[in-house]
Amino acid sequence: MLLKLNNLSKWVQSGGQKIHLLKDVSFWVNEGDFISVMGPSGSGKSTLLNIIGMLDDFNEGEYTFMDEAVHNLKEKHRSNLYKQYIGFVFQSYHLIDELTVKENLEMPLLYKKHGGAERKALVADMLDRFNIVGKKDLFPAQLSGGQQQLVGIARALIANPKLILADEPTGNLNSKQGEEIMDIFTQLNKEGVTIIQVTHSEKNMKYGSRVINLLDGSIVTG
Amino acid sequence: MLKNYFKIIWRNLIREKQFTFLNILGLTIGIASCFMIGLYVYSEMTYDTFHEKGDRIYRVNQSYIWGDWNKQYASTGPNVAVALRQDAPEFEEVTRILNSGAQTVRRKSQNDDRDMFKEEKSFLAEDNFFDVFSFQFEKGDVQTALKEPNSMVITQKTAQRYFGSEDPIGKKLEVRESKGEWSIFTVTAVLENLPNNSHLEFDILISLSTIQQRLDRQNWLWAWTGFSTYGVVKEGTDAMALEDKIQAIPPKWAALTTERLFSQSYEEFTDGKKWQLHLQPLREVYLSNDPEAHLFGPNGNPQFVKIFSAIGILILFLCCINFMNLSTARSSKRAKEVGIRKVLGSERKRLIKQFILESTLFVALSTVFAIILVQFLLGGFNAIADKELSLLPVLGNPIFVILLLSFVLLLGLFSGSYPAFYLSAFKPIETLKGKVTSVFKGKNLRNGLVVFQFTISIALIICAFFVQKQLSYTSNLDLGLLKDNVLQIHNVEQLGDKVETLKEKLKTNPAFTNVGLSFGIPPNVTSGDKYRAFGPENPALHFEDVRTEGDFLDLLGLEFLAGRNFDPLRENDKYGVVLNEEAVKILGWGTKETFATDSPIGKYVAMTNESADKMEVLGVVKNFNFSSTKKEIGPLVILHQDNDWVWNYGRGRTFLAARFDDKSVKTSGELQSLIDAIQEEIAVMDPSVLFEYSFLDQEFDATFKSEQRMAVILNIFTILALVIACLGLFGLAAFSAEQRVKELGIRKVLGAKVSELAMLFSSEFTKLILIAIVLASPVAYFLVQEWLENFAYKTPIEFWVFGIAALSAVIITIATVSFQTMKIAMSNPINSLRVE
Repeated sequence: MLLKLNNLSKWVQSGGQKIHLLKDVSFWVNEGDFISVMGPSGSGKSTLLNIIGMLDDFNEGEYTFMDEAVHNLKEKHRSNLYKQYIGFVFQSYHLIDELTVKENLEMPLLYKKHGGAERKALVADMLDRFNIVGKKDLFPAQLSGGQQQLVGIARALIANPKLILADEPTGNLNSKQGEEIMDIFTQLNKEGVTIIQVTHSEKNMKYGSRVINLLDGSIVTG
Repeated sequence: MLKNYFKIIWRNLIREKQFTFLNILGLTIGIASCFMIGLYVYSEMTYDTFHEKGDRIYRVNQSYIWGDWNKQYASTGPNVAVALRQDAPEFEEVTRILNSGAQTVRRKSQNDDRDMFKEEKSFLAEDNFFDVFSFQFEKGDVQTALKEPNSMVITQKTAQRYFGSEDPIGKKLEVRESKGEWSIFTVTAVLENLPNNSHLEFDILISLSTIQQRLDRQNWLWAWTGFSTYGVVKEGTDAMALEDKIQAIPPKWAALTTERLFSQSYEEFTDGKKWQLHLQPLREVYLSNDPEAHLFGPNGNPQFVKIFSAIGILILFLCCINFMNLSTARSSKRAKEVGIRKVLGSERKRLIKQFILESTLFVALSTVFAIILVQFLLGGFNAIADKELSLLPVLGNPIFVILLLSFVLLLGLFSGSYPAFYLSAFKPIETLKGKVTSVFKGKNLRNGLVVFQFTISIALIICAFFVQKQLSYTSNLDLGLLKDNVLQIHNVEQLGDKVETLKEKLKTNPAFTNVGLSFGIPPNVTSGDKYRAFGPENPALHFEDVRTEGDFLDLLGLEFLAGRNFDPLRENDKYGVVLNEEAVKILGWGTKETFATDSPIGKYVAMTNESADKMEVLGVVKNFNFSSTKKEIGPLVILHQDNDWVWNYGRGRTFLAARFDDKSVKTSGELQSLIDAIQEEIAVMDPSVLFEYSFLDQEFDATFKSEQRMAVILNIFTILALVIACLGLFGLAAFSAEQRVKELGIRKVLGAKVSELAMLFSSEFTKLILIAIVLASPVAYFLVQEWLENFAYKTPIEFWVFGIAALSAVIITIATVSFQTMKIAMSNPINSLRVE
């Protein structure tokens, strides 16, 4: 088991009222799963993803990631944990505009203190694997959306994470580009990477092996 | 990693040209101003540091026995050194210098058409002068240079003046004596030109042994206070203890002076007051500007140093704030990068490092520009400040380089700290989702910083206004005398008896309405002595005095409140005096209201108790300014020029003043030909007399030279501070325009007019400036009041000045943001709304 959520809740105070973003959410993820989180806008999909990615806090419940109790961890420890095991892919790619493709790929490695030669090798590997060697010196603005997302995925993968969290990875892409990206996810999943994606689209959902449906912060089916 | 940071920083620099430009410009101006001020302050604070024994040299000051005994006086009588040598073995050397006053000097040679020069900076110095002070010799022997009578040590530029490229050693120079004879001096040594930072400033040193005869006669005197006495203490001497010890000297040694000169015992003379000696460390002499009567070179102004240090630091502060403000304003753009970096695993620490590195780089770049800028502008600054600052020798100094590097690091750290901590605290998800709510929290702080900047700028503007106002107030002050159109011809005492002939000649010239001789001319009436209302029971008090004649009082246009002027036809008038109102008041003879019933006319003033030399009061004049308008008008005794009862120390200071009629002298050309004619006249009478002249009104203006200089510098830095603040405001307006483009677009679609939008947008900033005005006004009021304390005559602190400053600040604000205002108000809302 890769991670487990147990009665997890998150709320915000608004006008003296508790508004639940997530309420008593419990589920687990095994290594090699490909999970789609679905639900209407405001149902708490992204919040859930962010909590799994340790980018956001929760108020109640337990979260175990690879046998570590995340709710008890210190900030620093937590960040080490996600740095090592989790990769993120965003709807709007979130590449750094001032860096080239190659430099964007290199960035996570810089934060993990890989040596220069190793970084070069890993970046070259990724460029190869995603067929973007020719684009390595271009800036994000010079790429199409699909290409940018490709770089985004490559960047998420470069540090060899166990889990990829993708927040509507095809949301800004046309259907053809979207399909390509989903194919890559499927391929990665086959290679053993666990994937959790948040999506609106029924079509994308079908790429996954399991679906979690959220409504108003609670799991409806899962 | 570092490489990655540099890459990002560099690409950001290039991409955001406007931001980069504003930032670098602001920082460069700030740092350059700070450097310039730093150089000035540094040079002011490092006077006299070049003397090898500098930390052991003290100037011996004494209580100001001619007036307020609590004040110190930098001048001492010749006997102080004699006493110290005998009673204070803690001194390794004690040396005296005496200012010989302006002298006419020429090279001794056969032909008659040789160049004469007026030497203003000529001192008499003892043969151990160079055992105390380390001035560098170019030629000559340190040991013997000032030993023999009629020896002369000259500086290199003086040597150049008389001898050109010839070797001056052993050559003769002649100095004009009062009776037109010339005494001969031998050049024994040439000094390298004096360092700029010496409080002793001389071109010529004459061996004190030259006046050995007079010295032998008067070596016991504590009253001939033309000397300055300096001592080097032996190593390891406790100066405080020594100062305590030498307090025993005045009672022991000065008694002779009080008995012989004032016919009083020491106790009677001091009358319970303390006649003290003070040891003033050499390094404090220049800058402290205290005590008065330092007669040997320039004085610093500690107040200017304080004011400018404060301004330098403030300007630096302003440009740091600018940097912070612009950086955080841009944070919405940077937030995304921060978010990504965080998600990809960057710790906060690293982000902080990155931003601080960025700001340090900005500072370093600006520092380079600033150094170049300073190098370019220093000449102009020197001209304004009357300084000889230079940057290059400072740059070569390793200590300075280390200081500079730490300055860059510190400033980078300081100006980068706020954006670093602010930006790095963003929550990654929020920034990535584009809902950077923290930007709004930052808004108050940014506004606060802008208010702070403008508070400083506006306070400076108000201060600068008042400095200007005070200066024009003092120059337009009613002096009690007519200062315009008075030409004063110097050195006429050298003409001897022929001066009367010259005076008569000028009198017959219809261009002149008045002509008169005087030994001192306002605002330079500085001599003084002790006078009393005649009678042994009356106390002797300090009065300023001036020797002149009735014609001169007429020329000044003084108003007589009682009595009459000196009458040349009455022989006995030469032993009469004219007093000013203040003198009458101090003598206890009432005020002008009481003159009718109890007239001071016919009463007597005297210097001693002997009835032989009591002087009758002939007239009382209304108070007029006879010294700088910085001071209140003190009591003045006007003596007749032929009065031989009072010792005449007017040598070398006789003037012939002539008021020209501006109806007959209309142009400066006419005035010049008038002056040329007088020069011709004097040359015919005695070709060895140096012709010099000045104008009374200009002399008065010159007393405010240093204030005027300060005003110019203050104006410059006020403008710079304002420019920096405006740069910040401009940047902030650009940012705000970007933030509000949608809001204003919607307003426009809903029917807002361009003018309404412009008002709406600029009111955001005008509000801030109004707050700044409210804050700045009391600060400025306080500072101005404090500064005006220096002056006897103060311009009133009127509120319209605050109004003008406020108005100009608002106008400047609106002008600064108007570019953004117009851009945003005129733009087609479709474009701004389509962004979504």
